[in-house]
Amino acid sequence: MQRRTLLRLGIGSAVLLALAGGGAQLLRPGLQQGRLGAPAREVLHAVARAVLDGSLPEDAAMREAALQAQVDRVEALIMGLPAATQRELSQLLGLLGTAAGRMALAGLTAPWTQASVAQLQQALEALRQSKLSLRRQAYHGLRDLTNAAFYAVPGHWALMGYPGPTEL
Amino acid sequence: MSRFPDPIRAGLARGWRVLGGAHAPLPERLECDVVVVGSGAGGGITAELLVQAGLDVVIVEEGPLKSSSDFHQLESEAYPQLYQESAARKTADKAITILQGRCVGGSTTVNWTSSFRTPDETLAWWQQHYGLRELTPQAMQPWFEQVERRLKIGPWEAPPNENNEVLRRGGERLGIPVAAIPRNVHGCWNLGACGMGCPTNAKQSMLVTTLPAVLDGGARLLVETRALRFEHARGRIEALWCQPVRANGDPAPGALTRIVARHYVVAAGAINSPALLLRSELPDPHGRLGVRTCLHPVVISAATFGHEVAGWQGAPQTLYSDHFLDTQPVDGPMGYKLEVPPLHPVIFASTLAGYGRDQARLLAGFPRTHAMLALLRDGFHPESPGGQVRLRRDGSPELDYPLSPYVMDGARRALLSMAELQFAAGARTVVPVHEQARPYASWREAREAIAALPMEPLHLRVVSAHVMGGCGMAGDERLGVVRPDGRHWQVGNLSVHDGSIFPTSIGANPQLSIYGLANRLATRLAKDLAGRDVVLGGASS
Repeated sequence: MQRRTLLRLGIGSAVLLALAGGGAQLLRPGLQQGRLGAPAREVLHAVARAVLDGSLPEDAAMREAALQAQVDRVEALIMGLPAATQRELSQLLGLLGTAAGRMALAGLTAPWTQASVAQLQQALEALRQSKLSLRRQAYHGLRDLTNAAFYAVPGHWALMGYPGPTEL
Repeated sequence: MSRFPDPIRAGLARGWRVLGGAHAPLPERLECDVVVVGSGAGGGITAELLVQAGLDVVIVEEGPLKSSSDFHQLESEAYPQLYQESAARKTADKAITILQGRCVGGSTTVNWTSSFRTPDETLAWWQQHYGLRELTPQAMQPWFEQVERRLKIGPWEAPPNENNEVLRRGGERLGIPVAAIPRNVHGCWNLGACGMGCPTNAKQSMLVTTLPAVLDGGARLLVETRALRFEHARGRIEALWCQPVRANGDPAPGALTRIVARHYVVAAGAINSPALLLRSELPDPHGRLGVRTCLHPVVISAATFGHEVAGWQGAPQTLYSDHFLDTQPVDGPMGYKLEVPPLHPVIFASTLAGYGRDQARLLAGFPRTHAMLALLRDGFHPESPGGQVRLRRDGSPELDYPLSPYVMDGARRALLSMAELQFAAGARTVVPVHEQARPYASWREAREAIAALPMEPLHLRVVSAHVMGGCGMAGDERLGVVRPDGRHWQVGNLSVHDGSIFPTSIGANPQLSIYGLANRLATRLAKDLAGRDVVLGGASS
């Protein structure tokens, strides 16, 4: 993340600046030894609930299993990315995994695990339509990873009416 | 087990000299006549000609050696294995996603087979502005003809799929000329899986054409090996240092390999070629290295029809229109080429905008969805200087490509043109791929909405599959990194033979431009180094 971009966040986001700029070393990264930490998993679990709303199983137990599998797949996708990209995502997930970062960056008051789908979608929409490039970057990263991981699964192709590879 | 013969596995069984990865350990030292960095369009053609001239060649490739038996038409396998950064390479501000190959065969293994010669007006621009006086259409013609024969480039005879047919139908109604795209295929199964590696070996990529010839000729191929930096002194390269890499591109355990050669050819693709020269701290007295990197920035318009389109099925990109390139001067308002990509779940779902139930509805309509691309011709107008490749602290490259108002003006006009064509072809709704757009039900509604969309990075979705420039070629050392013969202006025994030498974008899918130019440069290099005349696809004399 570029310091110049962060500075544009302004006074209202001083806490974010402190976390992401000067205090970055105090922040626990989202990725630790090649695995997502618990807070990062919560962020991605919540993002999946919002992005994949309408595509997840209705049954609560099945939905939860689908979400856990989804977070595992995102983790695997991230591990396939180069170190520099992993570092950026780790920073982003680390930041969002703290209460201060969640509120300052995503504007979400409720903790990730407790926020409703509507609240999460509101937070995503605010990131998406933000005037700040950094927040739009966060939206793109979270949303695109979620979709890429989900629609790579042959079991999910039916949701798109995609029949799969041609048999040879 | 695939029913298709796999020329790569057969070659390995015959004893091809492939090192690195799981093949064989990398030695700490190697010697040869010529090192070729990269096995894509530029490296493949170059290596074939050099081997034909009797030279001892070592090819260094960062990606893995995969072949038809490994190509299962699955995005989940193809993107992490065959593409740079899992097909999610981005510009510095994350506003453009870049598709580039990273495997043996480079982008030719995963491209969509479109084979255009360099447009005359692009060559004319290079002659006029970059001192490349020898690059006339007449002078280039034989080089293209040889490549076209070697790679079986020709017209595509099968009828276009419905996804492409939309472009033809819309063009017909609006009086916009649409023509067929020549393809480098032989016995194509019309599967539409080109982007995931051809499972039938119909695509005449470097993987199944030049590289088997090169390896049969005794060349060595180092895979999963990164060209780290050149060692140089007094204007000459003395060695190339290479490093084993993991699947995600991070350094793998193992010693570095030092390769000593008489001559070094860089063909690592735009972004990675200038990055290697930057890491090596080669002389750049005129500040030309890494600058003017062009992308053909692409904007997308999706349309839903009342009938099945099945955009995943059938050959991709079989029709195109140059109407919006031909109707304005090359350095006027930004022109664009229209094409039709293949559609598959991951690339479609991650490129389209939106989330939640709106997205679920949009994706449920995938079988009836068509998508059109506009490739913006960059690098000609003063307000379109392209981007700059720089190094991150870990030495990996990053492209800073500002989406200027000039580019964004072209993008808006392109979204308008595509929506109009799609409605003319019978679309029920059209959605420009933009975070503030939604499906529009009529051309009138779409026109008003697109006129009002904010053309801002990360609101407008922009992608690129054509990276060009960064080691520009010029007839004057103040204007470029390499000379008209492909040799570095300041370093004697170093050449660059890939898309990074283009002084501007091409204005067409660049693979044949790379092949043709590499053919010309490598034929001359083979003569210089081996004293022999060679002809691509022909016997040496």
